Amino acid sequence: MSNTFQKQILPWLLPFVVLIVWQIVSMLEVVSPSLFPAPTTVLESFYELIVSGTLAEHIQISLYRAFVGLIIGGSIGLLLGILNGWSKWSFFTFDTSIQMVRNIPHLALLPLAIVWLGIGETSKIFLVALGVMFPIYINTLHGIRSVDRGYVEMGRMYGLRGWQLFRHVYLPGALPSIFVGLRYALGVMWLTLIVAETIATSDGLGYLAMNARQFMQTDIIIVTIIIYALFGKLADMIAQVGEKNALRWHPNYRK
Amino acid sequence: MTNSTEERGVRINVSQLQKSFGDNEVLKDVDLTIEKGQFIAIVGKSGSGKSTLLRLVAGLEQPTNGTLLFDDKTIKKTDASVTMMYQDSRLLPWKTVIDNVGLGLKGDWKDGALRVLQAVGLSEFQKEWPGTLSGGQKQRVALARALIREPDLLMLDEPLSALDALTRTEMQDLIEQIWRDNQFTSLLVTHDVREAVKLADRIVLIEDGEITLDLENPLPRPRDVTDERLVALEKQVTNRILEEEPSANH
Ligand SMILES: Nc1ncnc2c1ncn2[C@@H]1O[C@H](COP(=O)(O)OP(=O)(O)O)[C@@H](O)[C@H]1O
Ligand SMILES: [Mg+2]
Repeated sequence: MSNTFQKQILPWLLPFVVLIVWQIVSMLEVVSPSLFPAPTTVLESFYELIVSGTLAEHIQISLYRAFVGLIIGGSIGLLLGILNGWSKWSFFTFDTSIQMVRNIPHLALLPLAIVWLGIGETSKIFLVALGVMFPIYINTLHGIRSVDRGYVEMGRMYGLRGWQLFRHVYLPGALPSIFVGLRYALGVMWLTLIVAETIATSDGLGYLAMNARQFMQTDIIIVTIIIYALFGKLADMIAQVGEKNALRWHPNYRK
Repeated sequence: MTNSTEERGVRINVSQLQKSFGDNEVLKDVDLTIEKGQFIAIVGKSGSGKSTLLRLVAGLEQPTNGTLLFDDKTIKKTDASVTMMYQDSRLLPWKTVIDNVGLGLKGDWKDGALRVLQAVGLSEFQKEWPGTLSGGQKQRVALARALIREPDLLMLDEPLSALDALTRTEMQDLIEQIWRDNQFTSLLVTHDVREAVKLADRIVLIEDGEITLDLENPLPRPRDVTDERLVALEKQVTNRILEEEPSANH
C-alpha cells in the first residue's frame, strides 16, 4: 500500500502542485496573462490549433525534416562506423578527418548552410543529418571494434567469411552500442531542428513558436515546447522498444 | 552419427614446427605424428605453447618454420573437417542454442542440429539463449556445434577447466563416448593430468615450446580413475612436470 503510494503517486505530486500554483497565480493576474498564460489558456490554444489543422501541418513538416535528416545522417554514420571498424585502411584514411569535422559544433554551420543551401528544406535536413551522424558513427565504430576477438576467431574457424562474418558476428555484437548512439542521436536531432526552424523557415514547429513570439502569444509558444517534449519522449520510447526487441538475448534487456 | 566410421579421422604430421612472436620463440622444433582416430592429450604449464600449437594445427596462425600435414596434404589442400572447443564456450549470445549449433552451415541443417543436441542431452534447450545456460550446458552446446560438422579432427583447448568437478567428470565421459562412437582424431590440451590419463591414448608434455615427454597410454576403456595403473601413470606424468621446476631457475 505505502509502496504503491511511494512509487505511483508521489512522483506526480510535485508537477501537480506546480500546475495548481501556476493556475492560481495566473488567475490572480499577478503578472500579465500575455506573459504568463494559465494552464487552461494553454490547453485552450492547444485545442484550437488542433481543430484548425494548423498544428498538424507544422508537425508534419517538422517530422519530415527530422526523419529525412535522421535517415541520411544515420545511414552515413552507420556506414562509416562499420567501414572504419572493419578495415584499418579505411579507419586511417577517414577517422582523423571525421574527428576534425566533429569538433565543429554543427549548429555553428547554420549561417553557412543557409548561404549555401538557402532557407529551403535542404539546409535544415543537412544540419539534422550532420548532427545525428557523429553519435551514430562513434558508437558504431566503438561497437564493431569491441566485438570479442574470440567470437571472430571462432566464426572464422567455423567457415564464416566476409559478409557472413559481419552479419552473424560483428553486427549483432555491435548492436547494443549502435542503439546507444541512436538514442543519443535522437536528442541531437530534435535540438538541431528546434534551432534551425526558429531561424530560417516559414513553417514547422519552430516557426510556429517564433511567429507566436512576434505576436506575444505566449500560450502558443508553450504549446510548441510541450509538443517538442512529447515528440522527444515518443522517439526515445520507440527506439527503446526497438532496442529491447533487437537485444532480447542480452541479459540487461531480459525481463 | 554416420555408419562410415572408417572414413573418419585424419592423420596429422607435424615436423620441425617452429613459431615465434617477434623475439619470443614460443615453439621450438616440434615433431609429432598423430595417428588417425588417436586421442592425444597435451599437458604442460601455462605459457608453454600448447594453445599456440593448437592454433597452428587449426590454421589460425602461420608457422614461422616447419610443415604441417593432414593425411599428407597441406592445410590449404586438406578437405578434413577441423573443429575446436574452447575453454570459454564462445557461443554467440545473440543466437539461440540451435542457431549456434548450425552457425555457418548451408542447406537444411536443422535435423542434424537436433540430432547432435540430443547426443549431448540438450535437445529441449534448442530455443534458449546461451546466456540462460550453465557453464556445463554451454560446453555441451559447443560440443554439439563441433560434432554437427562430422569432424575428422576435434581440438579441445582446456574445454573443461572452468567447470566444477562433477560436471567435468560428466563431460569427460560424454566426450569419450562421442569420440568412441565417431573415431575422429582428438587433440586435447589440458593442465589436468588426471583428465589426460583418463581420456587419452597418448600423453605429450610440452615444456618451453618443446616436447619433453611422449607416453603411450594403452589402458583399456572405459577407465576408472581409481585404477592403480592409471594412478601410477598420473603420478609419473605429474612428477615429470614438477621435477623440471628447479632446473628452470638456474
Ligand atoms: N598472438 C600472440 N602474439 C604474441 N605472443 C603470443 C601470441 N599468442 C601466444 N603468445 C605467447 O606465446 C606463449 C605461449 O602461449 P600459449 O600457447 O597460449 O600457452 P599455453 O596455451 O600453453 O598456456 C606465451 O608467452 C604468450 O604470451
Ligand atoms: Mg592455452
